[in-house]
Amino acid sequence: MKKKYFKKSIAAIILLVLIASIMLTGCESSSTGADDSWDKVKEKGEFVLGLDESFPPMGFKDENGEIVGFDIDTAKEVFLRLGVELKIQPINWDAKEQELNTGNIDCIWNGFTINDKRKESVLFTKPYLNNRQVLVVKEDSKYNTIEDLEGKKLGLQAESSAEDALSANEEFKSKLKEVVLFDDNMLAIMDLEKGGIDVLLIDEVVIRYYMQTKGTSFKIFEKELSHEEYGIGFRKNDKKLMGKVQETLEAMAKDGKLAEISIKWFENDITTVGK
Amino acid sequence: MLENIDNILQDLFRLFRLLGIGALTSLKIFFLTLIFSMPLGLAVAFGRMSKNKLINSIVRFFILVMRGTPLILQIMFIYYAPSFMLPEGMKINIDRFVAAIIAFSLNYSAYFAEIYRGGIESISQGQYEAAAVLGFTKVQTFFKIIVPQVIKRILPSISNEVITLVKDTALVTTLGISELYRAAKNEAARVFSTVPLFVAGLFYLFMNSIVTKIFDKIEKKLSYYR
Repeated sequence: MKKKYFKKSIAAIILLVLIASIMLTGCESSSTGADDSWDKVKEKGEFVLGLDESFPPMGFKDENGEIVGFDIDTAKEVFLRLGVELKIQPINWDAKEQELNTGNIDCIWNGFTINDKRKESVLFTKPYLNNRQVLVVKEDSKYNTIEDLEGKKLGLQAESSAEDALSANEEFKSKLKEVVLFDDNMLAIMDLEKGGIDVLLIDEVVIRYYMQTKGTSFKIFEKELSHEEYGIGFRKNDKKLMGKVQETLEAMAKDGKLAEISIKWFENDITTVGK
Repeated sequence: MLENIDNILQDLFRLFRLLGIGALTSLKIFFLTLIFSMPLGLAVAFGRMSKNKLINSIVRFFILVMRGTPLILQIMFIYYAPSFMLPEGMKINIDRFVAAIIAFSLNYSAYFAEIYRGGIESISQGQYEAAAVLGFTKVQTFFKIIVPQVIKRILPSISNEVITLVKDTALVTTLGISELYRAAKNEAARVFSTVPLFVAGLFYLFMNSIVTKIFDKIEKKLSYYR
């Protein structure tokens, strides 16, 4: 009996070591060779854009099931100019770096906030849009400043840059009665309307779009909690590819096309490319 | 007033259309999984019942892993693992949908295998003895005597798995595949409302009530001794 188990466990260990070594060798990224990221895309004739398609107004599905949004319109123009077909691929937001690194998508372009932690795993373009994390209350609310919010309930979207912004404001956070995390911006906004939370911390871009499309009015505090910028995320080694897209964006800013798209979605040119 | 009703009806029609397209993808996953996993489950069941110690332990390990880890992780593993495990030059990217079907089929085959095994092992030895006395071969015994009885016994368990499968199709959202749940989530985000999610729930309920009805009918047809 003992001998059999001994043999079996040796075999199992050898098998595991083999599998582990294959996986580890596969993990090494190719650090040799020239940057052929743009050439590869040009040859394939196709560029895959990854997004979570439930983030209006940057990228979302419209009433006909088409994926639209500010980021989508911009991307379509960029790749029209580069002569490459644009493929729009919905992904799960938590898997975005995986999708990028395994080559299933070529960029993350979805109101993607630039921060230092993300810069470690992703190559960003220069910022193209400013965004603020703002505090939002109901229109008839009596709160006007951060001090008024002491002891109140605040809601925000889990895993979003709103969460990061709140954590960076320890003093404010500690004075709140409760912080409620939502899966979705949509659920958080509804809770604010319902009165389940007293104040909402959210991307200014999202709440302004909501007010515009739904016609509801909220009061947005003048002083923002944090200031952030959106960029487009590429694989760390794809410098040439990123460079091409950056070039095209700058050209679009120069000839006014970028402003045109911004006005369509935001009524103003709020882009920051080349400014 | 009439115009309001007309708008609401139009919106509802649009919603149903969007969710319907998603539901079609859910159904595709459902049928493909059943087609692959049910036969595969039989093979796995035989492996599990095999007297050969090597086959037996490999299959038991397979069943343990498939049932013991979450399907959502298995889907992600099958989709991403090839990119990580194969050396740089050999990047083979499996199509999302194919990866999902593979993961679902493997996972459900393990569950079906145990259901089959439970059914087969519950048939008394007397049946095999009687068949031998009557001159049936092993294969004849299996298909003509054992299988019909097994099917009757395992139907409720099978119906459990099939109903669970209808709902599990939502898990492919993790690969960005646009099925019913994802379609509802997107629409909910677009109109800032939870109504699409409720309607999606109704869709799932409708699909499962059809499944339930079908299994009821099959059970009735097979209960010829009652």
